[in-house]
Amino acid sequence: MDQVALDEWHVVAALPSLPFGQEVATRLLGTDLALMRSPGDVVAAWPAASGKALPVCIRYGHVWTSLGTPARPLFDLPEFAEPDRRNVMAGSVPVHVSAPRAVENFLDLGHFAYVHDGYLGVEPHTEIKPYKVTSDENGVLATECRAYQPQASLIAEGGFEVEYVYRVPHPYCAILYKSSVLDEKRRDVIAIFVQPVEEERIVAHMLASVLDDVSSDDAIKNFQQLIFAQDKPILENQIPKRLPLHPRAEAWAPADAGSAAYRRWLSSRGVRYGTIPA
Amino acid sequence: MSSSWYPVASGDDLAPRHVFHTALGGQELALWRDDAGFANVWENRCPHRGVRLTIGANLGTELRCQYHGWRFSSGSGQCAAIPAHPGFTPSQGLKVKTYPCVERYGLVWTTLDESPEDIPDLGAAAWRSLRAIFVEAPLAAIAPHLPEQTGLALFLQPVSETRTVIHGLSGDMSFSPRQHDDALTRLRDRIESATP
Repeated sequence: MDQVALDEWHVVAALPSLPFGQEVATRLLGTDLALMRSPGDVVAAWPAASGKALPVCIRYGHVWTSLGTPARPLFDLPEFAEPDRRNVMAGSVPVHVSAPRAVENFLDLGHFAYVHDGYLGVEPHTEIKPYKVTSDENGVLATECRAYQPQASLIAEGGFEVEYVYRVPHPYCAILYKSSVLDEKRRDVIAIFVQPVEEERIVAHMLASVLDDVSSDDAIKNFQQLIFAQDKPILENQIPKRLPLHPRAEAWAPADAGSAAYRRWLSSRGVRYGTIPA
Repeated sequence: MSSSWYPVASGDDLAPRHVFHTALGGQELALWRDDAGFANVWENRCPHRGVRLTIGANLGTELRCQYHGWRFSSGSGQCAAIPAHPGFTPSQGLKVKTYPCVERYGLVWTTLDESPEDIPDLGAAAWRSLRAIFVEAPLAAIAPHLPEQTGLALFLQPVSETRTVIHGLSGDMSFSPRQHDDALTRLRDRIESATP
């Protein structure tokens, strides 16, 4: 078993999805878990086989646990605490793919005009201009990403060029920051927290933390789920399901600079679960 | 698997602007006919991010991957365009893996080998292809049970270790395809009920 993956915090549920006082079964890294939410939003987690309590933290509207000894605290997402944001737990979707394939898809700019045609992209606006990518031990950052989007969010009216920042602060989590429609100085935040159920099975938990004083929570969820429903059949048709980390395992274009950095970062961090190591 | 050509589809399965999914020896294949009639047998995997090409689009002269719109040319499998970089000429060698393809007796044949034995010579008679019969059994469990009958030619496509397709050709027009179908279906039922 991959000790690096064992020692991470992993998402196991969206908090609002857990009923009070009722045991809920889930699965993490191939291990069956039980979760129990008590009043005061205390959540307990334990392996079904042993009953031994696992560490739990509740952050960003989700429940996180670890099967090992977390070497570092969960990453920061300060926008979640901003009082004027709408934080919506936008859906938890099972997908038959590895966690790193799902994260890489979330970072990908080149698929917008084909997979999200009419929403996040459209022909002939397919060109991906150069963007900046940096990485360090804490993760990967891609900045100055630009994409022409016909329907960038629920409240966008007409197409415009959107600027994106992507951040990968965790092997199986990614966050995107995109120009807000309401306030050009601030950014909407969309995050994907991937629960590695098994090496080739995940639950993708989505968080929208957006500036939107119009839409209902359900409308925000529906928009995120519509977009993710377009990604899901792509993810489930990737061969192999695990992410190959060898630099020449798959073909590259300049637009893939972000995913190249992500793969290198996974290698340097020693993450094996859900990958085909180089 | 022996070093042979195998039928992997009926020519009719490769309908205009369609991409047909099958497999040979565990290798998934994407089959498509270009607008000039040429049949392509390709590995079912885009070289960029591994997406099955069978969920892509047959554009008539090129096949377009559904994920990033990369287009690959009929015949060579060479990448012709990367929409994220419109001014960019994809390098030679950036291509889908292709397999040889021959259409004969109404069937589409391919091989995974460098130097396969010839396709069996059935002479000049008119053959029509029968309905392909999927059998949940390995090729070796089926081969001994194939009937020998004048005017009937049967070929096996080993899809995987556990699954085989029987492709039949009828050269005897006094037999209706339905009679052959019924006989092959009974054969399938016998083999599958004897296979654990």
